[in-house]
Amino acid sequence: MTALPRRIIKETQRLMQEPVPGISAVPDESNARYFHVIVTGPEDSPFEGGLFKLELFLPEDYPMSAPKVRFITKIYHPNIDRLGRICLDILKDKWSPALQIRTVLLSIQALLSAPNPDDPLANDVAELWKVNEAEAIRNAKEWTRRYAMDN
Amino acid sequence: MSNDVEERVVDEVEALKAILMDELIVRTNESGYPVAVETVVFPSTADDALQQYVCLTLVVELPSGYPDVAPVVSLRNPRGLDDSVLGRIDREAKEKCESYRGQAVIYELIELVKEHLTSSNLPSCQCAICLYGFREGDHFTKTQCYHYFHSHCLACHVTSSEKSYQEELDKLPAWQRSQHTLSPCQVLCPVCREPIQCDMNLLSSAAPPLEVENARQFELSDELRSLQRQMAALFSHQKRRGGIIDPEAEDSKLLLVTDTTEQEGDDEPPGPSLLLPPQQAFHHNSMTVSMGSSVPNRGDWRRGGRGGFRGRGSSSSHRNRHGRRHHQAAVTFR
Repeated sequence: MTALPRRIIKETQRLMQEPVPGISAVPDESNARYFHVIVTGPEDSPFEGGLFKLELFLPEDYPMSAPKVRFITKIYHPNIDRLGRICLDILKDKWSPALQIRTVLLSIQALLSAPNPDDPLANDVAELWKVNEAEAIRNAKEWTRRYAMDN
Repeated sequence: MSNDVEERVVDEVEALKAILMDELIVRTNESGYPVAVETVVFPSTADDALQQYVCLTLVVELPSGYPDVAPVVSLRNPRGLDDSVLGRIDREAKEKCESYRGQAVIYELIELVKEHLTSSNLPSCQCAICLYGFREGDHFTKTQCYHYFHSHCLACHVTSSEKSYQEELDKLPAWQRSQHTLSPCQVLCPVCREPIQCDMNLLSSAAPPLEVENARQFELSDELRSLQRQMAALFSHQKRRGGIIDPEAEDSKLLLVTDTTEQEGDDEPPGPSLLLPPQQAFHHNSMTVSMGSSVPNRGDWRRGGRGGFRGRGSSSSHRNRHGRRHHQAAVTFR
């Protein structure tokens, strides 16, 4: 494997030295391009109190192309599908090399605070979110309690 | 407030207008009295804009009672300046406001900022692409929007933008590709997404930035190891509770779509059924990536990695399959 780009080294160091509240990201022991991530559910969202595991992979041409991110913990959210894939513009065509691991994870945390059922990835979830928001939020809370709580 | 004081403030603003002309923006209240002034300050370079590498917008709010009450200064849209320089300017501006209490201070503030910008008229920020600073001898580029990049780094960005543009183009059907209405590749500033013009011949000849060359190699610390252990523990905990997505099981659910009677027992979460018609499910396959040999493929949690990241049929962007935009991210650029 070729040497790790300095930018990745620098980002990793900064993630340790100046951690983002509610977010931790640690590189894998055998592959420094692969990060184990925990995002805590934002306050006042149905995901509050949850610890969500994600995986983040920096492709060969990072930062020229976006990191690949996926939820590992089950989550009930209209923009995240059953496989944990995330519908977020900056992970696709709106990627910019000025974005970083930390900004990507902050955006994902923001997506938990502001679900957008009008641009769904999980159609069934989005549908319920639109026709019966109260029930959808109850489901999201129940999934959070069942799958993402620490106790 | 006496008319005398009001008149002094109006006079001060009028004098500034005479000096700065249309570079000064004055905000007034309903009765036309100035409540704030705003101007973009550049370093003194004998008006040679090419030599100006830094700038910022100075906003001076004039509270009721100014100049006996100190104005409120804010420094906005800084370009090419790092936080320590900004902090110094901010501190000195506040001191100046205090020491000029009772007197006209706006022009003094503009001069103060200008002096600082002139003495640090080299980008002291980091290159947003490689995250390293600018050193003597580095080739760097200032965009029209006053953002800085090592020429080498910007060249990589331009090449990559052109490549993705070409890839998008190749996905179009031939009849669309041949139309001349397609807009040409427009490179955007990585920081603010303004369109930028670049001379690729100049950029691509630049050497990689110096500081990057000298950076230290990364080593796994004890702190990281302990975090890794915590994460592994959380994973096993969630896995025991059935909280971990199993991509293979999810895939087979899609194949069993007609057999909706099959339940997963106690683990079945509340809410509508997870079963989706196959064609709908394939619409979601936006994260189509082949990680090649660098995929970690051992251990339990990595099952997710394989499932989520492996190549899933022909690649195309989420936008193309969905025919709509991605969810807007809440990202604040500097």
